[in-house]
Amino acid sequence: MSLFVAAFGFGLVSMSVIAIAAVGFTMQFGITNMINLAYGEVMISSAYVAYYLNKAGISIWIGMVVGALFGAAFSFLLNRIVYAPFQRKGTSYLGMVIVSLAISLMMANLLLPIVGYYSVSYQEGTGGLIRLGAIILTTNQILIIGIAVVVMLLIHGLLKYTRLGKAMRATSANPTLARNCGIPTQRVVDAVWLITGALCGLAGVVAALNSDSFAIANGAAFLITILAAAVLGGAGQPYGAMIGAVLIGLITELSAAAWSPEYKEVVAFGVLVLVMVLRPQGLLAKRGAMAAAG
Amino acid sequence: MNSYYAINLLIYAGVDIIACLALNLQFGVAGIVNFSFIVFQAVGAYTAAVLSMPPDTAPDYSFQIYVGGLQLPFPIPWIGGAIAGGLLAVPVGFVVLRKLRSDYQAIALLVLSVIANTVITNARPFLNGAAGLALVPAPLADLFDPATYGYFYVGLTAICTALVALVAFRIVNSPYGRTLRAMREHEVAATAIGKNPVALKMTIFIVGGVIAGLSGGILTGYITFWAPSVWLYPETIILFAAVIVGGRGNNLGAVLGALLVPVGFEEVTRFIPSSIGPPGLIPALQWVAIGLLIIGFLWFRPEGVRPEPRRVFEGAPD
Repeated sequence: MSLFVAAFGFGLVSMSVIAIAAVGFTMQFGITNMINLAYGEVMISSAYVAYYLNKAGISIWIGMVVGALFGAAFSFLLNRIVYAPFQRKGTSYLGMVIVSLAISLMMANLLLPIVGYYSVSYQEGTGGLIRLGAIILTTNQILIIGIAVVVMLLIHGLLKYTRLGKAMRATSANPTLARNCGIPTQRVVDAVWLITGALCGLAGVVAALNSDSFAIANGAAFLITILAAAVLGGAGQPYGAMIGAVLIGLITELSAAAWSPEYKEVVAFGVLVLVMVLRPQGLLAKRGAMAAAG
Repeated sequence: MNSYYAINLLIYAGVDIIACLALNLQFGVAGIVNFSFIVFQAVGAYTAAVLSMPPDTAPDYSFQIYVGGLQLPFPIPWIGGAIAGGLLAVPVGFVVLRKLRSDYQAIALLVLSVIANTVITNARPFLNGAAGLALVPAPLADLFDPATYGYFYVGLTAICTALVALVAFRIVNSPYGRTLRAMREHEVAATAIGKNPVALKMTIFIVGGVIAGLSGGILTGYITFWAPSVWLYPETIILFAAVIVGGRGNNLGAVLGALLVPVGFEEVTRFIPSSIGPPGLIPALQWVAIGLLIIGFLWFRPEGVRPEPRRVFEGAPD
C-alpha cells in the first residue's frame, strides 16, 4: 500500500512536468491550428541548452530560465520561418502534420552529432528529502511542483484577465472574425508561439531535472505523454490539458508501481486509444477531434 | 561481388516499390496519412519469419525465444505475412479511421508506431525483444545452388512487385479508386452522394496492410533477420518522402519515388566516406536530408515529379 502512496507522490511530480508541457502544446494547437510534432525535440533541445550552461558551472535554476528563453525564441522562429509560410500557402492540416514531423526528424538528427547518443544528467544536488507520510520527495521535486502551480496560475491569469488572453481566446474561436474586430491576430499568434515556446523549453528542463538522466531519444517519449494528456483533456483546451496532465501523471506513475516502469508510455498510449474510441472530443471540448478538417 | 551488389539493389528496389505503391494507395489516393505503415511491414516480416522458422527449441535456434516456429513450406509464410498485415489493419482502422479528424488519425498512427516498437523491444519472450529474430530460413534455399539463389530471389521479388503493381493500377483506375479520390477531395460531398467514407477507408487500409505485410515477408526472407531496430518510425517517413517526391496519387510516381529516395538516395550517400566528422554524422545528415527533401517538395512542388493526372470527362461542356 505504501508503494502506491509513494507512487502518488511521484505522480504529483510527473503531472506537474506534463502539465507545463501539455498546456503549451495544446495552446499552440488551439490558437494556431498547428499540431507541432517537433514539440518534443524543442523540449529536449532546451534541456541540452540548460545542460551545457550547467556544465559550465551555472546553477540549473538559471539554466531553466535560459532554457525557457531558448524554447521561446526557437519556437517563434520555427513558426515564422517554416510553419507560417506553409499555412499562408494554404497547406492542409495534414500537410502541416507532415511538415512538423519532418522538422522533428531533422532537429533530432542535427542535435545527434552535437550532443552524442549517450545519456547525460545535470550536476545539481537533489536537495534534502522531504517526508509527508509515505510520500518521499526531494526538494527539487517540491520546487518542480511549485513551478508548475505558479505557471498554471499565470496561464489562468493570462487567459482570463488580460487583453492578450482575451485576444488569444478570440483568435482561437474564430480567427477571421477576430481580425475583423480589429484584433491583430498576427501579433497574437507571435505572442502565442513565444509563450508556448517558453512553456516548452521550461518543461524540457524540468523533465530532464526530474529524471536521473536524459538523452536525445527522450524527445519521442515526451511527445507521446504530452499528446495523451492534451487529447484526453480535449485538444486546444488549456484547462483540459491541465486535467489531462493530472490524470496521465497519476495513471502512468501508479501503473509503473503496479507493473513496470518500462511501459509508462504504453499505458499513456492505452489511455489515448481509450479516449479516441470512447470520447474523441476529449473531456472538455465540444468538438475537438471530431470537427471536420479543412 | 558486383553481381551481389546488383542483386541486393534489385531486391531492395522491389521491396521499396511494393511498399511505396501500398502507401500511395493509402496516402496518395485515399488521403490516409498512415504514419504507422512500417508497423504493417514489420508484422508481415515477423509473421513470415515465425511461420518459416523451426521452433525455438531446435538446436541452432535455442539462443532466441519466440512464439510459433511452424516450419511451413514457402509461399505459406509470405501469404501468412500478407494476411497478418491485413488483419492488423482491422483493429487499427477500427480505432483510428471511424470518428477521428484526419490530423488526429495521423498522430494516433505515429504514436502507435512508436509504441508498437517499444512493446516488441521490451517483451522479449514474444519475438525475442530488441535482439530480434535471426536465421530466418530463405525460401526454397535448398533447391538452388547458393551462387544462383540470388537471381532466383530477384525473380521472385519481381513477380510479387508486378502483381502488386497490377493490383495498384487496377484499383486506381477502377470506380472504387474514383470514389476514393472523390472522398479525399471532399469527404462531405462523397458522403452526400451515398458513399460510406469509413468503409472506403477501411478497405484501402486493409489492402495497404496486406501489401505492406507481403513486402515485410519478402524483405525478411532475403536479409534472414528482423528486429525492432529496422522498423523504427522514421522508416515510414522515408516512404512518405518517396511518395511525395514521386507524385502523390500517381502509381508511376510512387515507383519513381521508390527508385529515387530509398534506393537512389541510399546508394548515392554510400559513396560519402563515413570517416568525415564525428561518428554517426553522415547517417544523421542523411535523415536531415530526407526532412529537407519532404519540406522542399511540399514547398516548391507539392504535386511531385510525376503529378497525379487530372482526370476530366471528355464530353464535358467547356
